[in-house]
Amino acid sequence: MLPAPVAVVLPYLLATAGVAMVTLGIALAGRPDLGNASMLYLIVVLVAAVAAGRAVAIFSALLAFFSFNWFLTEPRHTLSVADPDDWILLLLFLLTAVVTGQLAAGQKRRAEEAEEHERQARVLTDIAIALTEPTLERTLRSVADRLRAELGVDAVQVELGGARAASSVDADALEALDNTDRTIDVLATDGGSEARWIRLAPPHRRLAAMAMAHRVGRAPIRGAGGEEAGHITLATSNRRGFDGAAARLLAGVAPQLWAAQERSRLRAEATEAEVLRRSDEAKSALLDAVSHDLRTPLASIIASAGSLRQAAVQWSTQERAEFAAAIEQEARRLDRIVGNLLDLSRIRAGSLHPDVAWYEPVALVRDVLARMAGVTAAHRLVLDLPDELPPVPLDYSEIDQVLTNLVENAVRHSPPGTTVTVRAVVDGGELRVCVEDEGPGIPVDELRRIFEPFHRVRGVTRRGTGLGLAVARGLVEAHRGRIWAESAAAGGSRFCFVIPTREAMP
Amino acid sequence: MTEAASTGARVLVLDDEEAIRRTVERLLTGHGFVVRAVSSGEEALGVAPRFQPDLMLVDLGLPGVDGFEVIAQTRDRTSTPIIVLSVRGAERDKVRALEMGADDYLTKPFGVDELLARVRVALRHAARGGRGTDAIFRSGGLAVDLERREVTVDALPVQLTPTEYALLTALVDQAGRVLTDRALLRRVWGPEYGSESHYLHVYMARLRKKLEADPANPRYLRTEPGVGYRLLEVDAEG
Repeated sequence: MLPAPVAVVLPYLLATAGVAMVTLGIALAGRPDLGNASMLYLIVVLVAAVAAGRAVAIFSALLAFFSFNWFLTEPRHTLSVADPDDWILLLLFLLTAVVTGQLAAGQKRRAEEAEEHERQARVLTDIAIALTEPTLERTLRSVADRLRAELGVDAVQVELGGARAASSVDADALEALDNTDRTIDVLATDGGSEARWIRLAPPHRRLAAMAMAHRVGRAPIRGAGGEEAGHITLATSNRRGFDGAAARLLAGVAPQLWAAQERSRLRAEATEAEVLRRSDEAKSALLDAVSHDLRTPLASIIASAGSLRQAAVQWSTQERAEFAAAIEQEARRLDRIVGNLLDLSRIRAGSLHPDVAWYEPVALVRDVLARMAGVTAAHRLVLDLPDELPPVPLDYSEIDQVLTNLVENAVRHSPPGTTVTVRAVVDGGELRVCVEDEGPGIPVDELRRIFEPFHRVRGVTRRGTGLGLAVARGLVEAHRGRIWAESAAAGGSRFCFVIPTREAMP
Repeated sequence: MTEAASTGARVLVLDDEEAIRRTVERLLTGHGFVVRAVSSGEEALGVAPRFQPDLMLVDLGLPGVDGFEVIAQTRDRTSTPIIVLSVRGAERDKVRALEMGADDYLTKPFGVDELLARVRVALRHAARGGRGTDAIFRSGGLAVDLERREVTVDALPVQLTPTEYALLTALVDQAGRVLTDRALLRRVWGPEYGSESHYLHVYMARLRKKLEADPANPRYLRTEPGVGYRLLEVDAEG
C-alpha cells in the first residue's frame, strides 16, 4: 500500500507526464498537421478518465489544452487563441474528458460496488460457517479474525449474547479497544440512509485532544426491537480511520450476526427443553415401573397376611401353609427387585466394582436354579450342564443376579408348561451361559434395545420393570464380558452372556 | 370353614399375577364364595357365560385383551357388578373403568377387610337393584328420610339447600360405592355438566360442614383422590 498523500497525487503526476510526453513527441516530429496531432492528447485524457476518474481527466484535458496552445500553436508561448479551430479543439478536449470521465467513473463505481457486494457475501458466508462452531466464544473469535483480515485493521472485538472474543495484531491495538474514554467513530445505520461513521468525542476535552496511536470504531449489533444486543469494535493505526466500504460491510454483517446468534440460542433452548422433558418422562416412567413392581408382590403379601389374620375363617393347616408360602415367595421377589434397583443405581453411578474370586460355574448355576424353584415351578426346566467346569474369576452375588434375572425374564415371557433351558460352557477363554425359552420371541429391531433400562418390548404390557436386563448387562460389562439376545431355533428367545476365564491384567 | 353370612355367591377373579390370584381365590373360598380364577382377558370372557358370576374382580393391566375390554364386553351383555383392581397412581384408569361401567375399584395393595367390604357392598347393591326400598337411609348418626326429605345428624335436623340435598341423595342411592366427579355432576347439575369439578368440591365442602362432626376428617363423605366421592355406610354404633 502507498502512503495516502502519494496515492492522491500520483494520478496527477502520471497525467502530467503523459501530456508532457505527447507534447514533446509532437514537437520533435517537426510540424505535422496539428489538428491530427492534437488527437494524441485525447488518448491521455481517455486513459486518465478510465484509470483515475473525472477529476484527473479534466485536469489532463486542461493541461493538454494549455500545452498544445503554449508550445505548439501559433503564436507560440502565448495563451492567445487566434484560430477558432483551436477553440473547438479545447472544447473537444474538455467534453471528452468530462463525458469519458463520467462514464469511466460510473463503470468503476459499479465494479467497486460489485466487488464490495461479493466481498460482503464472502464474509457473510464465512460467518455462517463460523456459527457452526460449538461455542459462542469460538464463533465470535472466528468472526473477529475474519473481519480483521477483511478490513485490514489492527484489532477487532465482537461482543454478543454475553460472550466476547477479540482478534488483534498486537497488545497495543487490543488495549485501544478497551479504552472507552476517547474519541471513537460510531457506525450510524438508522434512518434508512447509507451506513456512515459518526465521530463521538469524550466529555473531557483533555482526553479528546490526547494523541492516540489508534483510531477506534464501533458498530452496534441491534436486536429485533432495535435494542443494542452487542457490538463490533475496531482499532486501526491508519490515520484516515475507517472508510465507507467498512461501514457498509459492518452494517451488513451486524444484523446477520444477531439473527444467526438468535437462531442458535433458540435452538439451544429448544434442545434444553427437550432434554428436560425427556429426562422428566424417563423419571416418571421409572417411578411408574418401580412402584408397580414393588406393589405387585406387596399386594400378595398384604392380602395373604390379612387372610391369615381373619378371625371369621378357620383356616386348615394346609391353607395356612399356602398363605405363608405366598408371603415368603413374594417377599423374595421384592428382595430381587430391590437388589436390581440398588445394582442399577450403582451401575449408573459407576461405582460397581466386582469382588472377584475363583468359582466353579456349574455349582453356581445349580445353586441359583435351586433357589428359584418357586419361580420356575410352572415351567419345564432343562439343565444342559457338564458335571464340572474350570473355575472362573467372578463376583458370585453379581453373576447370581445376572442368571436370576435371565431366568426370571424367560419364565415371565413364556407360557406355563413350556421348556426353559439353561446351558453353560467354557470355550475359547470364555465362560458362556445361555437361557433359552419357548415364548413368542423378540422382534429383531428390539434385540438390542431390551437391555436399556425400563425398555419393554412393544405390545407387551406391564410384564416386569425392564430393570432386570439392564442390570444384567451392567453387571456382565463390569466383568469385562458381553450379553446379548437372539432368536432361538424353536422360535423363542435365547439370552447369553460371556465373561473371560482369566483375571484382568492390572 | 365357611362363613354363614356369605351364601355361595359366585366370584370370577381375573388377574395375571399368580400370587394375587391364588391369595384372593383362597381368601374368598375361605369366606364361602364360589371362586373361579383366570389369568387372561380372553379366558375371563370365555368362562363368564358358563360360570355366571355374581361378581367380577378385574385387574386392568393385562397382556392381550385388557381389563377395559373385559368391562366393555361384559357390560354389553350383563349388569354383573365389576370391581376393578388397579395400582395406585393410575387414577385416570380407574375413572375410565368406572365410566365404562365398572361398579367400584380397589387399589393394590389392598387390605383383606377392604376387599371383603367392597365385594359385599357390590353384591348387596346388585341384589337390591340400587339402594332398595328403604325410605330412610342410615349410616352411623346420619339419617336421610327420602320420603319426607328430612336429614338428621344424631337426631338433630339439618337444613340443606336443594342442590346439597340432591347431591346427598345421589350418594345415598349408591351408598358404599364410589361415584366419579363426572357421574355426580351429571346426576345433580344435569347432563351438560361433567368437567366442572370445582362446583362439586364447593358443595361437598358445604355438605360436610353441615353433616360431619369434623369436616377435615369426614366420617361419611369420603374423598377418593383423583376419582370421586363415596358415602360410607357406618354401623349404627359407629
